[in-house]
Amino acid sequence: MFAHTFRDADRIDREIVPFLPPRLADLVAGLPPDVKGRLEELRLRVGRPYAVLLAGEEHWFLGGRGLVRDPGAAVRASAEDGERLLAAISRSSVYALEAELRHGFVTLPGGHRVGLCGETVVESGRPRTLRYVGAFNIRIARAVPGAADRVLPHLIAPGGRIRHTLIVSPPGCGKTTLLRDLARQISAGAPALGLRGTTVAIVDERSEIAACRHGVPQLDVGPRTDVSDRCPKEHGIVQLLRAMAPRVLITDEVGAATEAQALRDAIHAGVSIIASAHGTDWRDVAQRPALTPLLDGGVERAVVLSRRRGPGTVEAVWDLTLPSPRPSTARGHMPARTVVSMS
Amino acid sequence: MARGLGAALVLAAAGMLGAIIARAYQERPRALRALQSALAMLLTEIVYGATPMPDALDRVARRTPAPVGRFFAAAASYLRAEPGAGTAQAWRRALADPPGWCLTADDEAVLADLGNCLGRSDAADQEKHLRLALAQLQRLQAQAEAERDVHVRLWRYLGAGAGAALVLLLY
Repeated sequence: MFAHTFRDADRIDREIVPFLPPRLADLVAGLPPDVKGRLEELRLRVGRPYAVLLAGEEHWFLGGRGLVRDPGAAVRASAEDGERLLAAISRSSVYALEAELRHGFVTLPGGHRVGLCGETVVESGRPRTLRYVGAFNIRIARAVPGAADRVLPHLIAPGGRIRHTLIVSPPGCGKTTLLRDLARQISAGAPALGLRGTTVAIVDERSEIAACRHGVPQLDVGPRTDVSDRCPKEHGIVQLLRAMAPRVLITDEVGAATEAQALRDAIHAGVSIIASAHGTDWRDVAQRPALTPLLDGGVERAVVLSRRRGPGTVEAVWDLTLPSPRPSTARGHMPARTVVSMS
Repeated sequence: MARGLGAALVLAAAGMLGAIIARAYQERPRALRALQSALAMLLTEIVYGATPMPDALDRVARRTPAPVGRFFAAAASYLRAEPGAGTAQAWRRALADPPGWCLTADDEAVLADLGNCLGRSDAADQEKHLRLALAQLQRLQAQAEAERDVHVRLWRYLGAGAGAALVLLLY
């Protein structure tokens, strides 16, 4: 646990501090290691106090001698601080960031993500770029190796095939973290589970699973993993199937019918799929018409997450291949039996 | 004998002084032309290549002969040394220690203005600033060429003539 904290604190010093404007860099570098280790967000809003968010929803401001509760006692970000931060994250080349400014974030080495907002330049009704950036949100990326340890054994079919799986949870329950670690373990192989490493492809439309920078994953997604970064899912899925010949295809936040259809095509092409979907519980997801092609089309396992005991709590893993013993409300998708209930 | 040698030395020195001043007039248009092609390259790198600034400056430096190339190399190395400080500061530091070119304060002012805008805005805006600087440098080059045509010969003759007059006066 402590080793963890110190490694995280060290990462802040190496990967975040060099990008910060001098005043902020000193303040952040001077924080105690346990605070650095729990840092989740660092916010710079021009003209307003520097704010930080620590793990466990702890909101603080940055004062001259550490964290303070009172915004009046905090250090304020100047316009020059904002400009220096933008220069540092763009390598003094704001013109090279046009696409990033349009998407609203820049990924730093290490997978940390800087969200941006400000005055938007609109061209024919669509945002083209940002003229002035008024607020920055630096979000610290943390891979959680081992997040999939409890789930993975239930997703392996006899013979080592990965079962088609849907991960269901409300936001903030660790879907993306789970997907990332599944990718890593399936790609690397898990000898203890009789799983040999195999080729994995990730369609990372929101750039959150692998946190690619210049097309290179910044977080560990395994040695045999290819990532299609920021590509709309329905295109990315087809493209990766054709180009990279994956055995397992992983994607995030399936919602539209076209995406579900593309995943179904992948299943027909003989590729194992692991996808996630927003939803408060299984019933909620099963009732969504857009997901029917997927649920009818061979998904075998459903993993339900919650944050009852912190993010990443596995509520249950459902076996969807068993016939339903009772008439169901949800188009025949009421899970018949829990493979494993973690509650 | 010694008188002859002294007279020859005075003549040579004055002639050389004239030639040195004449050379500055000759070099300035050349430097301005090199600067323009360098900035045109930088424009291509920024607007069409979206090349990050340190790499763009390095590429321009490699393809531009000294002394102008050295200026871009210096700006690139300052920028790499302190990435947070921005192009403007790196450019200023490179300008503060010019690489021995024959540019005037007017010429350097154009560069200084450009430096304040480089890398700070989107590609369309960058192009505007670079085109403005290019137009200004072109005007300055025309002016420098006109001056060269007048002054090169003037200073050469003036150097030799002043040397001859000095020899006549002294002896």
